[in-house]
Amino acid sequence: MTAIKSPAGSTDTGRRDPAPVASRPPGARRLARRSPIPFGIAVVVAVVMILPFVTLIISALTPADQMGINRWLPGYLRLSNFADAVRYIPFWQLAKNSLVLSSVFGILTTFSSALTGYGFARLHGPAKNALFVLLIGTMMVPPIVTLIPTYLLFSDFHLVGTYWPWVLWGAAGTPYAIFLYRQYFSAFPKELEEAAVIDGAGKLRIFFQVFLPLSRPLLITAFVLAFNAVWGDFIGPNLFLNQSNTTLAVGVATGYENSQGYPLYNLLAGGALIYVVPVLLLFLFAQRSYVRGFATSGLK
Amino acid sequence: MTATAMSGSGAAARGRPGPLRRLRGGLAFYGFISPWLIGTAALTLYPVGYAVYLSFTGWNGMSPFKPWVGLSNYQEVLTSGDTLSTLSRTLVLTAIVVPVTIVGSLLLAMLLNKRMRGRAVLRTLIYIPAIVPPVAAALIWKVIFDKNSGTANRLLAVFGVHPLNWLTGGNAFIVLIVVLLWALGSGIIIDLAALQTVPAEQLEAARVDGAGPFGRFRHVILPAISPILLFQTVLTVITTLQTFIPAILLSPIGSSSMGQTTNIPQANDVYMIDVYEQFFDYSRYGYGSAMLVVFFVVIVAMTALIFKFLGRSVFYAVDPKAGKR
Repeated sequence: MTAIKSPAGSTDTGRRDPAPVASRPPGARRLARRSPIPFGIAVVVAVVMILPFVTLIISALTPADQMGINRWLPGYLRLSNFADAVRYIPFWQLAKNSLVLSSVFGILTTFSSALTGYGFARLHGPAKNALFVLLIGTMMVPPIVTLIPTYLLFSDFHLVGTYWPWVLWGAAGTPYAIFLYRQYFSAFPKELEEAAVIDGAGKLRIFFQVFLPLSRPLLITAFVLAFNAVWGDFIGPNLFLNQSNTTLAVGVATGYENSQGYPLYNLLAGGALIYVVPVLLLFLFAQRSYVRGFATSGLK
Repeated sequence: MTATAMSGSGAAARGRPGPLRRLRGGLAFYGFISPWLIGTAALTLYPVGYAVYLSFTGWNGMSPFKPWVGLSNYQEVLTSGDTLSTLSRTLVLTAIVVPVTIVGSLLLAMLLNKRMRGRAVLRTLIYIPAIVPPVAAALIWKVIFDKNSGTANRLLAVFGVHPLNWLTGGNAFIVLIVVLLWALGSGIIIDLAALQTVPAEQLEAARVDGAGPFGRFRHVILPAISPILLFQTVLTVITTLQTFIPAILLSPIGSSSMGQTTNIPQANDVYMIDVYEQFFDYSRYGYGSAMLVVFFVVIVAMTALIFKFLGRSVFYAVDPKAGKR
């Protein structure tokens, strides 16, 4: 999309557009660039934000018998803590469950939200405005308000303990994603559609062949948000799934305890670290699209 | 239903599509939104309606009976000392977390908007905690704040302070705030995008007129980004009011297996924990439902208040390029 390429010269944008340097006195610019203070503050903040991970890694490598000892680094590091963490709970099976559930929900909701967003952005029908108000209104309904009544509904249909709830939730789309798509599709020029209509394309073909291919950043954004939401969810799987098919979030949060119910902190740290990795990788991989998806549609 | 009625008046004369085309257009609209519409009806509207119905009953979640109790659940929600204290605790949490998050995000975004070495890396590092799933964030801080093996007490020991019980008693509330504030960067991406929309000509004009950095912020930057800040504030208030996962996972012993909420320190007994207990520990489905309905009303009321008080100062710019894109 062209919209991201900075509306009319921005204050001080990234490397993608080394915009209006000329209009300012060159001295001021050089000064701003060289001032070490913002850089220093940013480094300090970054260190503070990352420090919890560092201490978590140290805890994860600490042998159990040295956990309570008051020193910064244990006498020796025990890499096999990670192996123990993976063995203490059925880690890979849970990870597979999480992966399946997050992917299924992510793909379905990305697609379904795009359909609905397109409808609200480019099509017209009776009661459209009222339905849009409904959409915004449902954004305000806390998920927990619907979760327990939904549980009762699904148990009537014998869907509790299966992955069907996530399929249905996915197919229904996500209000926030729909809103983003609607903003995004609204900005497309009308000529784009008109050219396709002249070529004899129907609405579905226009959607699939014109709009979807042009919305990659937002598709990726919506998928990442949806994937992370399910990967990170705890209440849903706890309520709707059972021990045999629950997700990694539940396993990591509840599994690392000894028989008295006390947490095994070093294994917990190791398990939590591995659990976070896919989310971080997905974000790093999608970062640019993610930022673009927000920049083009999260605003206005 | 009204499609044909509306299109009757001279639509054809002005070259607009005729009734049939409009009907087909409406069908296309409803076709595209049908997954969402059906899904919302079944998975949002019906459950909300059901919760409202249950809130007037004394159902225990098991019996085929759902005895009608009228407004007595609501009466209890609004007079019960326990429920009101969990509600006020949640409001205090929100009052602390939301302003810090909104202001902190914006300050960080403005900082990271400056040119500096390694900016992309710094942005990523500062943003990372915001994408860590809440489950993991809670567990990470639980490890750090553990009394015996945690880093927090080790740090205090450097200053000669004896180990503190962070996860029990009143201290647990501090840890809960720390967990929520760790994700402070969540607004950075949107703020950074918003900062790019600040018109450079206006900044330049303000500079020429002698406005300092604060003047430029107050009169140019803030008006330009205020709609996004308002939107963010509302979303952050709603999510903070719903705080649940960190509160339940932070407790030191055994409470993580669900259904055992007894070990949660009172300081972290937020509203959603209370709701959960009503449903799954006490089987009070009617009362729990009434709590959910009241909670929803609180959310709507707070959203309305935010719009009333902050919305007034929001500046909606007329985008001159809006039509051209």
